[in-house]
Amino acid sequence: MSEHGEGHSESYQRIRSKKRLAEILEVATSFEQKAYEFYTSLIPKVSKRIRYLVEELAEEEKGHYEMFSGLASNPDIVALLRDEIETPVEDHKFSDHIHLPDLGENPDDQAILQYALSREDAAMKQYRDLADHTGPGAIHDLFEYLANEETKHKRELEAMYYEIVHSGGP
Amino acid sequence: MRPENYQAVNHPPSNEYELNFGPNHPGIEGNYAFKVKLNGDRVLEARADGGYLHRGFEKLMEGRLWIQNIALVPRICVPDPVPMEVCYALAIEELCGLEVPERAQWIRVMQLEMSRVAAHLFAFGGHAATTGMYTPMFWGIADRDLILDRFEELTGGRVYHIYNIPGGVRRDLPEGYLGRLSGLLDYLESRLPDYDNLFFTNQVFVRRARDVGTMTQAQALKWGVTGPNLRATGLALDVRRDDPYLVYGRLEFDVPTEAGGDALARNLVRRSELQQSIHILRQVIDRLPEIDGPIRCPIPNPLAWNVPAGEAYTRVESSKGELAYYVVSTGGGKPYRVHVRGPSSMHAVQVLERLAVGSRLEDIAQIMFSLDACPPEVDR
Amino acid sequence: MSGISYKSKGSILNPLKNLAFLGRGSVTEPLEPREASANYRGFHVNDWELCIGCSTCQKVCDNAAITMVKIPGLPEDPVKGVRNERPAIDYGRCCWCGLCVDICPTGSLALSREYVHTCREDELDSYFVLPDPNGIHGHYFPKGWDKSVDADLVDLERQPMTEMESGERIGSFAEIVAGYSDQQAIIEASRCVQCGMCHDSCPTHMHAPEYIRAIWEGNLDEAVRQIYRTNPFSHICGRVCTRRCETACSIGRRGDPVAIRWLKRYAMDSVSDERVREIAAEGKVDYLTGRKVAVIGAGPAGLTAAFDLVKKGHEVTVYEALEKAGGMTRYGIPEYRLPYDRLDADVAVITSLGVGIRYNTRVGRDVTMQQLQQEYDAVLIALGLQMGRSTRIPGSDHENVRRSVELLRMITEGEKFDIPDSAVVIGGGNVAMDIARSLARLQRQAYGEVRVTVVALEDFDHFLADPEEVKEAREEGVEILDSRGPKGCVIDGQGELQGLKTLGVLSIFDEKGRFAPSYDESDEQFHPGHMVIEAIGQMTDTALLGDKLTEQLEWNRGRLRVDEEGHTSVSWLWAAGDMVTGPDVVHAVADGHRVAASIDSTLAD
Repeated sequence: MSEHGEGHSESYQRIRSKKRLAEILEVATSFEQKAYEFYTSLIPKVSKRIRYLVEELAEEEKGHYEMFSGLASNPDIVALLRDEIETPVEDHKFSDHIHLPDLGENPDDQAILQYALSREDAAMKQYRDLADHTGPGAIHDLFEYLANEETKHKRELEAMYYEIVHSGGP
Repeated sequence: MRPENYQAVNHPPSNEYELNFGPNHPGIEGNYAFKVKLNGDRVLEARADGGYLHRGFEKLMEGRLWIQNIALVPRICVPDPVPMEVCYALAIEELCGLEVPERAQWIRVMQLEMSRVAAHLFAFGGHAATTGMYTPMFWGIADRDLILDRFEELTGGRVYHIYNIPGGVRRDLPEGYLGRLSGLLDYLESRLPDYDNLFFTNQVFVRRARDVGTMTQAQALKWGVTGPNLRATGLALDVRRDDPYLVYGRLEFDVPTEAGGDALARNLVRRSELQQSIHILRQVIDRLPEIDGPIRCPIPNPLAWNVPAGEAYTRVESSKGELAYYVVSTGGGKPYRVHVRGPSSMHAVQVLERLAVGSRLEDIAQIMFSLDACPPEVDR
Repeated sequence: MSGISYKSKGSILNPLKNLAFLGRGSVTEPLEPREASANYRGFHVNDWELCIGCSTCQKVCDNAAITMVKIPGLPEDPVKGVRNERPAIDYGRCCWCGLCVDICPTGSLALSREYVHTCREDELDSYFVLPDPNGIHGHYFPKGWDKSVDADLVDLERQPMTEMESGERIGSFAEIVAGYSDQQAIIEASRCVQCGMCHDSCPTHMHAPEYIRAIWEGNLDEAVRQIYRTNPFSHICGRVCTRRCETACSIGRRGDPVAIRWLKRYAMDSVSDERVREIAAEGKVDYLTGRKVAVIGAGPAGLTAAFDLVKKGHEVTVYEALEKAGGMTRYGIPEYRLPYDRLDADVAVITSLGVGIRYNTRVGRDVTMQQLQQEYDAVLIALGLQMGRSTRIPGSDHENVRRSVELLRMITEGEKFDIPDSAVVIGGGNVAMDIARSLARLQRQAYGEVRVTVVALEDFDHFLADPEEVKEAREEGVEILDSRGPKGCVIDGQGELQGLKTLGVLSIFDEKGRFAPSYDESDEQFHPGHMVIEAIGQMTDTALLGDKLTEQLEWNRGRLRVDEEGHTSVSWLWAAGDMVTGPDVVHAVADGHRVAASIDSTLAD
């Protein structure tokens, strides 16, 4: 949905290159970590009225970040870290969102939610793509799992968005 | 019980004595009683006593919603409850200006006549029993039960039908009902020769009932006698014919009379009326299927029903005589006053007390039954 | 005359006639159990699923044979009009008249064809029975006397309300609904069975059975008195209340619920404003407590609290940012639904009791919270939801993309704006209908024709606006499209707004049943309009609190955290109304009472 779908191109060319799993996980981990830091730094800037929202988002991202850190030390994954994986060359979905936007002084709940939604959307698509480009096996399952996690998270946020913005809200 | 009836009296030496007759006497209807003064077995004086059981209906009605009384009024005459329901409903309909649909009027006539047949079967069954003839009583009650079966089918209740409601009746006829009613009438007609043989023309009964409890037409009129008891003195007065209500004006029937004015004459009038009722029911069975439409006009929510202020006097011909309701409303949700003119209140008190005098002790019960006096109507 | 030959003595052989009976059976009834007739009035059966515990059977019972018994474990939901009580019958009193069946609003009660019950002396209690569908001895008997159209004593049809025809009403903002005549009101009031479900479901627990009864009795002063026991916004609630009472009404189980809202309106319209003021003043204490309370916001919640507090002898000052009182009821609800003079009448009752309202005084600008804190013993904020949310779709920052609350306020104030010859409204609630229908009227006046399109996310099965709003909007020429999600505003090369693009909605709920639409990207539509109005969510502008107080207060997911009595985490501050409970007039009134009681008891300490 375009209203919160800022930041990724509608179509992209499927030009592929190879990357090692280690690199991919590294980018993903830093993606989650930056988000966590971003939300954390936002907490004191927003009105106390909507601080719950930013706090919840930060908490969520922290969970993701910890999950990735755990993965990197999981022996099953470590064995695969050097495997080469086909990836879309223009995998700028993550990177777009690593460059964090300036939500301005005192952003409101709707702006924060819109950003969070577009971010979850990008991550979801990225993992889905990666899963599509790996053959059956542990790595495929890993990306599938990650894609599903992000999808779930995005759905939660969408529900919250409609509750707050479209139905009178809390 | 009237206390004055039961005071100890110091009798002068004589052949006269007092006897409490009833209330637990098989020849007395319900919980009725007499205090009779006798010389030998000849009655010198009789005082009627209605007892406490069937009392206070009128007062009770003042404390209940208009609609709630429909469950109370049939109790004022157990053997013939329908006229009570209809007469009460008619009074409220008059006060409220409710137009009872035609179909409901025909259904009401049907029930009224069914009730009359049932009541008459009960009455001469009872009369027979007071003369020691128990078979007609068994027959009468058993055949009455067949009418109650039809009542049960129509109204859901065998004895207290609670079926007539201001504005009409509560249910339409069940499928095939008139056919079954017609079959019942055929049966009852086929029974009449048996009844005649056993009872109405049986000289044992005829001789026993003749010249018992005789009153003249003049006496009857003076004492407020109505119904079969009046017609048995030769005067053809019948509310159905003289002041037609519902659809009686459109029905053909005779008003049978007898000249004797005694217990026998009263009994024979009922026997003839039973036949007339069957005749009326046949006409209803013919006409009712053509009359479509609702069985009740719209009525207000019973919990929010104020009957317009005013008074209404409605009367119908019950099996006992002229039954009337005098209802006064002050515009409230309950009646201000309801007075019931139960025909038996005359028959069972002033008439019976007079007719008993000069008769023999064994005839008191017969006289009461020949008058078809219904104790609950006496002291409503 | 009778033709009965009783005079003939007959033959000596007459007794021989009795030989005819030799072969005939006697007239007897069999001793076996006898099946009752199809509408027999035997012991009660009650369908507990259908029964709502309204106790109407008890009220009509002529022998007081029915007792309502509380059954723990059965559902109890005042909002839906369900109590966990069921009728129990004392068969020592019951006369089986069946009036309870005929008047039962739900049709749950019936009489069965079971009629035999005997017991030993020590089981006399067994005549007191709680009927359920299984019969009193647990053996199935078919239903006998049951609900039938013939015998029904419940009036299922509501008195029709006269309304202006669409062609007539679209020409102006005149009130559409005519109100009941005396006769209609009495008939409508007479439909009530006094079950009190309405009272239980009403957020402010209005004494609806009492005022309906008073209307039926023609005692309109008493009706107003009953109304004012719980609701000083009675003209307003008589017109625009969300009327949960009618949802809960037991007559509504099988028919039209009693028109409780219109009856309230009738009572209020029938009594002169002066008399209403006298009645409302009854019970006001004749002393002053010396305590001062400030109320921020002259809407239903704030003024209800002010009404209660001033009657208890406190001095109440209301601060209102706008020119007139009423809050969203004035600035959000169009005049054709709620005429301003009726609103003025409600407000006048409250001011007549001594509540002072300072109009055009915005807290945060003209006076600070700190000043209020110092000057008053207690402060109540009842701000309402006066800010409209934006979809923030591409192009939504265009100057002709407007918020519905803002436009409705301008229409109320008579502020001029360029009336668009065509407009698209985003939203499917009553506010969307309000702005669409208001614009339709303005368009009709300016251009002679109506070109308003409403696009809503919800499908018509889950529509938010009242069905009659949708029906009337359509009659007035408004086009309403369901299941459309806004995609972007279309702006041409000259920077002019041309309309709105929407996508079809595939589903509006996620797997957990929460509202989260998904869209069909291939189903795109364009709706032309020189103005786009966003009528989606609303929010409270809490900026007036200032940063310090905002930090000091506790919050609950975007709303002020208050306790059950409306007290915030700051001792001198209470909050009430839409900003706490969400948008609804009668909830705001209920909240006003609750908070006033809390403030009063705190001040009394």
